[in-house]
Amino acid sequence: MKQLEIDGMDGKDGTTVSRRSFVKGAAAACAGLATGGPALSALTPGTAHARGALAEGKWVSSCCVGCTSWCSKQVYVINGRAVKIRGNPHSKTNGISSCPRAHLALQQVYDPDRVKTPMKRTNPKKGRNEDPGFVPISWDEALDMLADKIMELRANDETHKFMLMRGRYTALRDLLYDRLPKIIGSPNNISHSSICAEAEKMRYFQEGQWAYMQYDIPNTRYVLIWGADPVVANRGVSSYLNSWGRALDNARIVSVEPRLTGTAGKCDEWLPVKPGYDGALASAMAHVVLVEGMWYKPFVGDFFDGQNRFIPGQKVDEDIFLEKHTHGLAKWWNLYLKDVTPEWAEPLCGISAEQIRRVAMGFAAAAPNCISWVGGGPAMQPRGTYGCLAANALNGLVGGCDNVGGVLAYNSRSYQGFPSPNDFMDEMAQTNSKKEKIDQRGRLEWPNLARGRSGAGVNANNVADAIINEDPNEIKVAMGYFNNFNFSCPGTGRWDQAMSKVDFFAHLTTHASEMSFYADIVLPVNHCMFEAWGTLDNSSNGYRSVSLMQPAIERLWDTKSMETEIPWLLAEKLAQRGFDNLLRYYQAVVDPETGKAPTNEKEFELYAIKHLTQHFWDPTQSKGGDKFLGWEQFVEVGVWNSDPYLHRARWSNMGTKTGKFEFYSETLKEALEKHAERHNTTVDHVLEVCNYLARGEMAFIPHYEEPYEWGDPGVYPFKFVDYKGRLNREGRSSNCSWYLQLKDLDLGDIAYDDVAKLNPIDGERLGIKTGDKIRLTTPTGSIVCTASLWEGTQPGTVAKCFGQGHWAYGRHAAKVFGKEALGANNNDIIPVDYDRLSGSTAFYGHIRLKVEKV
Amino acid sequence: MARYAMVIDMQLCTGCGGCIIGCMNENNLPEGMRWSGKIAETLGRYPLTRYHYRPTLCNHCENAPCVHGCPTKSLYKAEGGITAHDINKCIGCRYCMFNCPYEGVIYYNLRQPHAEWRNNTAVIPNSTSTPAETLRRTGARGWPIQNPDPDITYASIRPRGVVEKCTFCQHRVINGELPYCVEVCPSKARIFGDLDDPQSEVSRLLGMFPAERLREELGTRPRVYYIREFCPKPQPQPQAG
Repeated sequence: MKQLEIDGMDGKDGTTVSRRSFVKGAAAACAGLATGGPALSALTPGTAHARGALAEGKWVSSCCVGCTSWCSKQVYVINGRAVKIRGNPHSKTNGISSCPRAHLALQQVYDPDRVKTPMKRTNPKKGRNEDPGFVPISWDEALDMLADKIMELRANDETHKFMLMRGRYTALRDLLYDRLPKIIGSPNNISHSSICAEAEKMRYFQEGQWAYMQYDIPNTRYVLIWGADPVVANRGVSSYLNSWGRALDNARIVSVEPRLTGTAGKCDEWLPVKPGYDGALASAMAHVVLVEGMWYKPFVGDFFDGQNRFIPGQKVDEDIFLEKHTHGLAKWWNLYLKDVTPEWAEPLCGISAEQIRRVAMGFAAAAPNCISWVGGGPAMQPRGTYGCLAANALNGLVGGCDNVGGVLAYNSRSYQGFPSPNDFMDEMAQTNSKKEKIDQRGRLEWPNLARGRSGAGVNANNVADAIINEDPNEIKVAMGYFNNFNFSCPGTGRWDQAMSKVDFFAHLTTHASEMSFYADIVLPVNHCMFEAWGTLDNSSNGYRSVSLMQPAIERLWDTKSMETEIPWLLAEKLAQRGFDNLLRYYQAVVDPETGKAPTNEKEFELYAIKHLTQHFWDPTQSKGGDKFLGWEQFVEVGVWNSDPYLHRARWSNMGTKTGKFEFYSETLKEALEKHAERHNTTVDHVLEVCNYLARGEMAFIPHYEEPYEWGDPGVYPFKFVDYKGRLNREGRSSNCSWYLQLKDLDLGDIAYDDVAKLNPIDGERLGIKTGDKIRLTTPTGSIVCTASLWEGTQPGTVAKCFGQGHWAYGRHAAKVFGKEALGANNNDIIPVDYDRLSGSTAFYGHIRLKVEKV
Repeated sequence: MARYAMVIDMQLCTGCGGCIIGCMNENNLPEGMRWSGKIAETLGRYPLTRYHYRPTLCNHCENAPCVHGCPTKSLYKAEGGITAHDINKCIGCRYCMFNCPYEGVIYYNLRQPHAEWRNNTAVIPNSTSTPAETLRRTGARGWPIQNPDPDITYASIRPRGVVEKCTFCQHRVINGELPYCVEVCPSKARIFGDLDDPQSEVSRLLGMFPAERLREELGTRPRVYYIREFCPKPQPQPQAG
């Protein structure tokens, strides 16, 4: 770089240094730097006016936890203060790209309403209209209270009445989420996962991946997106924002979505499917691909003589179709596909047969470099498992599964696990931690088939009912961290009731949220992007990146790290009371470099993160990917990148029962049979109890299930479409002033408002204009918000973004803090229902409502 | 002398608004101002609906009506063709706001910027912070994430009673850095450079694609060029059904 000679730019050692050369130097220090590093200008500085240099600061590496993208980031720090955010140029996934919501992290860490000290409630009554009367207390007092409560459970052999709830987290989670309840003696560690997108993971039953996927956008020829909005809110947003515009040159992109999303507005074709009918559309597309003979033969195989016998309405001889890397195609055809023509699907899904046929053929013509991107839309519905399987099956038909330009698994990465807790679990812990979990997973009506195992998946939203009904038992002491279930779970009133019932609740949070209002003590935590050690990872572009969070700025308040410091201090308190198992366990997490055991909470946090990430930074422990000289270099660079993806390595090695991509899922069959066996019944009875329509062999193949709806169409004529916006850091950005100022970045939305969007045809019919106050009523609740008439809304539907309607969280988020909400929370009206095979909470497809002018 | 210009590649733009937030961040914009903005439209009738998004900013016109009409010469053409503003000369007459033919380019500071950060009440007394306490702790001016860099050529926080506008991040450009909206764009849709340099990316792109400038008919000769389409292919016409 040509050096500038500008006053005030002399570096400390007398050499001229600009921030730009600093960045380049830092980049050069890392071998294998991603392309797309700082694309700084080639301006001719010779012409510049020299008036002063930019403030000297440092880009400190971190990771964003604004959504599940978990992008590698860097924070620009000037004098201990965070000023800017960018993508970490060393990352091979998102690189320097940063989605817009990442910047709002600055407004979170410097939020004017952060909890700055531990506090306790002084009003013993708990309820929606009770002011907790919080007063500040010391950490000592707060943790004494919590420790006393836990010791009381231990004294009474009631440790299973302890519960720990987790919202977001870092990969240090096991220290708190897993080990603490186990060592105390509770089975109840409840993650939020089932209100996220667990039903998407039901692809496990076709391709053995209980996981989210990466999508090879730079190399694809066709993208068919189901109920996902990757340029707005999904996984990998920063990365896909970077590759999207170029993909439009190389590929055709089609969005299947009831409303015009950011992605639907930035693609080649929008298929406005009726909410809940994705399965019919996907099934008809599969039918077309087979009838036209366009399946990808190197992956799927062919009839023995190459002659296509898939004729609508006619069965084929299953023995003469010779499959390669798939299982059960002909059986799927015979059982179901032969009859599901585009003409059959048209009246169901609202997409014309001609369009179904054209899109299906276009998609298959791009085989195998094509993607059927299954988001939460078709999956997070009652009966959503089958919508997910129907849409994901298309990846099998066209060979896009695990292929270039297709749908890839995450590259592997190796965190070093923490020591086993077994030796630290006494008899009470061993016994009580094996009792039934509070979320009732595994019961007949809750198969929750994570990784094919009955009762293995979480059922977060059912916990409220379980607490209320004390079934399987009451909950006396609870902890919750980085979560706000009273806001983020459908059926919010149930959570208000449930949390009022819990005798003692400790909430670990940055903000006084709705859930905090039911807490007996509130423990203020560090913002994990800026103030604590941690790590998370993501995958795109055929790589996986593991990013390190670190204390980048000076902590503003008396806060502590949620997954390390607080549990350590609690363990010390328990040890003082004669129960030292947890502290002894934490002391077993030693510094990998010196072998030294931690003596305080800060050492514990540091040793824990070094232990967890040792395979990345310790060259002698490397399991592949980027190599570092040691811990310090890893901290400086802040991200480890995997080796590149090995395409097609999973072909015939899928992790399913047959090892193949299972159109007829032997894996699901086995899982359902085992669940039925456990309850001494039949698979058909399980399906009936769980509210699915499939019976017999239909249970094991992708198919359309009529959406289960709440509400009589006569009374509730509309269907509700919930979504997430560009600046949603899930439900946590509403107190950031940029969130409200820029709400109009979401299509059809209005700045400083919380609107429900109706098609102008419906607006005219109901006499509703943009700006009118309207009431949305479902069979389970009612909210008031502002109407916006917008052509991107499907007639007969109402679309509204999630995120506002906070009555707590801060001065900008709430209209009157603690009392009155600003805007309206969708979860107040979404009826509580589930896709029970996955345990997922339903957010789509089932919600009928009526709209009235207020 | 350089002739700075910006090319916005609409096909690469994803409408994410990163440029708007980045600008607010870099230039410490008070609430309600968008030096970097957008024009968004939803066109057509369902289901043939199309969304169109155009990022906007000061066009840094070669023939800038705001400069010509400024009675105190506080608006002036700086080196490289940047339409710059000197707050020390500005009397807040707002002629420039009338004269500028584009929407949302020049803003007037009717109120004290970032005044909300002077508030010292807590939502939970003694337990949560207050805006003023947070600001004091950070040691920043105006708001906690104050970026001091615009002080070099402008003012990091503009005072009440004057106008303010996009400077093409003059403070960065003279230090060899790109305008922050260019650097912060995750889609790499903004390209900045010197029109007099035939090797520059802006020159190359303007040679390659037909470009559009806003309201060219007015003769303002904007230095912000738009190439390609936000939504490159028309929605096909589905048959009735």
